[in-house]
Amino acid sequence: MSVTSWLTSKVKNWQIRREMGYPYEESRPEKQIAYVFDINKCIACQTCTVACKTTWTSGKGQEIMFWNNVETKPYGGYPIKWDLNILKSLDGQSWDKEGKYNGKTVFEAAPPGERVLGWLPEEEDYSYPNIGEDECAGIVEKGAFFSGIHKAWMFYLARICNHCTYPACLAACPRKAIYKRKEDGIVLIDQSRCRGYRECVRACPYKRTFFNLVTRISEKCIGCYPLIEKGEQPRCVQTCIGKIRLQGFLSKPDSPQKDNPLDFLVYVKKVALPLYPQFGLEPNVYYIPPIHVPKEFLYQMFGPGVDKAIETYKGAKDDKELLGAFLLFGSTDKIIRSFKVEGDYALGFNDKGEMIAKVPFKEPVYIRPYFDKKVGTYRHNIP
Amino acid sequence: MIKRLSLLLLLVGLFLINPHCANVEQNQNIIKSVKVKEVPFKDVRSSIWKKAPVTRINVIPQNMTLPSLQTPTIQYINVRSLHNDNWIAFLLEWEDKTRDAVVDVNKFTDQVAVQLPLDPKSLPAFMMGNKGGRVHIIHWKAIWQDDIEKGYRDVQTLHPNYWVDLYFFSEPMIYAEGEFPLQPTTVDYFITPEALNYIPGAYARNPISIFHRTQPVEEAIAEGFGTFTTQPKQNAIGWGRWEKGVWKVIIAKQIVSDDPNDAPVPEKTYIAFAAWNGSDKNVGARKHYAPWVELVVER
Ligand code: SF4
Ligand code: SF4
Repeated sequence: MSVTSWLTSKVKNWQIRREMGYPYEESRPEKQIAYVFDINKCIACQTCTVACKTTWTSGKGQEIMFWNNVETKPYGGYPIKWDLNILKSLDGQSWDKEGKYNGKTVFEAAPPGERVLGWLPEEEDYSYPNIGEDECAGIVEKGAFFSGIHKAWMFYLARICNHCTYPACLAACPRKAIYKRKEDGIVLIDQSRCRGYRECVRACPYKRTFFNLVTRISEKCIGCYPLIEKGEQPRCVQTCIGKIRLQGFLSKPDSPQKDNPLDFLVYVKKVALPLYPQFGLEPNVYYIPPIHVPKEFLYQMFGPGVDKAIETYKGAKDDKELLGAFLLFGSTDKIIRSFKVEGDYALGFNDKGEMIAKVPFKEPVYIRPYFDKKVGTYRHNIP
Repeated sequence: MIKRLSLLLLLVGLFLINPHCANVEQNQNIIKSVKVKEVPFKDVRSSIWKKAPVTRINVIPQNMTLPSLQTPTIQYINVRSLHNDNWIAFLLEWEDKTRDAVVDVNKFTDQVAVQLPLDPKSLPAFMMGNKGGRVHIIHWKAIWQDDIEKGYRDVQTLHPNYWVDLYFFSEPMIYAEGEFPLQPTTVDYFITPEALNYIPGAYARNPISIFHRTQPVEEAIAEGFGTFTTQPKQNAIGWGRWEKGVWKVIIAKQIVSDDPNDAPVPEKTYIAFAAWNGSDKNVGARKHYAPWVELVVER
């Protein structure tokens, strides 16, 4: 069977601004789970990683599994070289001036006999989740620390499953053991149906499905669906120390709702961009690109929207609505379905329209006496 | 002329010294099952097997669905069959230089499978059957053989130095012989529902995640690609040995069974084969196969 006959459907991928071949018909969920991660704020504390690990993957057979990981770019990667390997084999990733992708997706580039262009990591590739941590791309020249901006750069990339609109894991599974939920777009591996062929591990370019040594079948991030079903954001989002994450639902690309913070950041302001959109999966974790990293690196990683996203991000101080949306990151455990700015507050609402978050644009300042007579102690004031 | 003659002699010589060529049934399209008093279910070396003729079944790489197998590493399976009126057994032998009996992200196990039609009179598609045309599959894996003979192939089987402080809710909370942190080497400790929460395949009762197998084979029914379904009732048996680069695997089933998912074994039916080479990362559809071959059961 040839690849062209295998990709029976033409589906619309808004991130690459064109139709592409996919083995199943376009079937967007009622609402799509989506996340915005502000890379500029991540401190690589790995609280998200540990929260996920203790919640879901502390079992036997899951030792090397991190459904959430945070790696340092440019050198870090878990599993090792997950990105370099696929980038190397996907030829000619070019975009035209209108932002249309001219190269091939991982589906279109599948070699003979394969469903998807992919590769299978070795066990060892998972054994160094912190490789390259805090390593800069180059040496900081002597004295450059003091002279302002220097050329050395690095940034932290927090990664989870993208709950893709066109998942490669799902397309590659010959048993149809992987499914995408109609109600929220979460992509799951049916733990009773999987037979451990690892076609998904091979196919997912983000390497977000994992093989369990003890159960001998594959597992992946489940988007904390028990929390989602209760109207709460996932563990990695709730626990994020840097408040870099916001989870919500994305509307269909042709009907963005301006008051939905996810739609607002992704579709309206275009300040958050998909990771490697050229792979063709329409991933649903959107990143605000790091502002200090060479553009070429960012174009490759986030596509042609980088310049505009960074410009918009830098202008947030003068854009109250955008700033308001940013303030809602980490403001509540609940899922914010709509938001507005009222006076000096950003307000977040749940699906019933009840207010679940209220964040002031400026935190009030309290000055306390140096000596507290009531409890008989000295206090410092911390800005 | 002399050159040709010596080539011929060389070929004849090779034929004679290669044990897998000797005594091979000429007709590749028929497997005869010979009646014996006792079938050596667990003894691949038993001389009783010699009573059955060998049929050499050529296998080819799976090329009908994606993913497919591009390069074959197994050429043929030598098949013998015995029965005792109650059970029919097949001895399958094929060359495989490496014994692959563990799994890991990038490690795959050797496997072999036989397939019989539920209705031999209207033969379904030879590759996993077709809608309405069901097939009965009996599947043997090297890793299951080792699970049974050596104990469950665990994390520490592959990675003896994996060190974990604690597996949540594992029962009992093992602090093995004064050792801390603990290094459990068996999944038997994970029996509480809470602990099983962290072993999702077992929690979901996935037939792949069975820790206490009694047979190295699994029975399934299928009616087309991707429909392989483990039978609720498992009554087939199997046994395998790897000796000097050759796998010798016995797969046996009841001739008459009350399991409606089992294929009948009339005097004439059909059988198909599949084989996987673990070291070449064969798995699932990345396999070698042989289409239907006639199976004659001599009564
Ligand atoms: S918890 Fe937040 S800040 Fe910390 S590493 Fe994770 S994403 Fe970054
Ligand atoms: S990121 Fe990978 S595992 Fe997650 S849905 Fe996409 S293809 Fe599947």
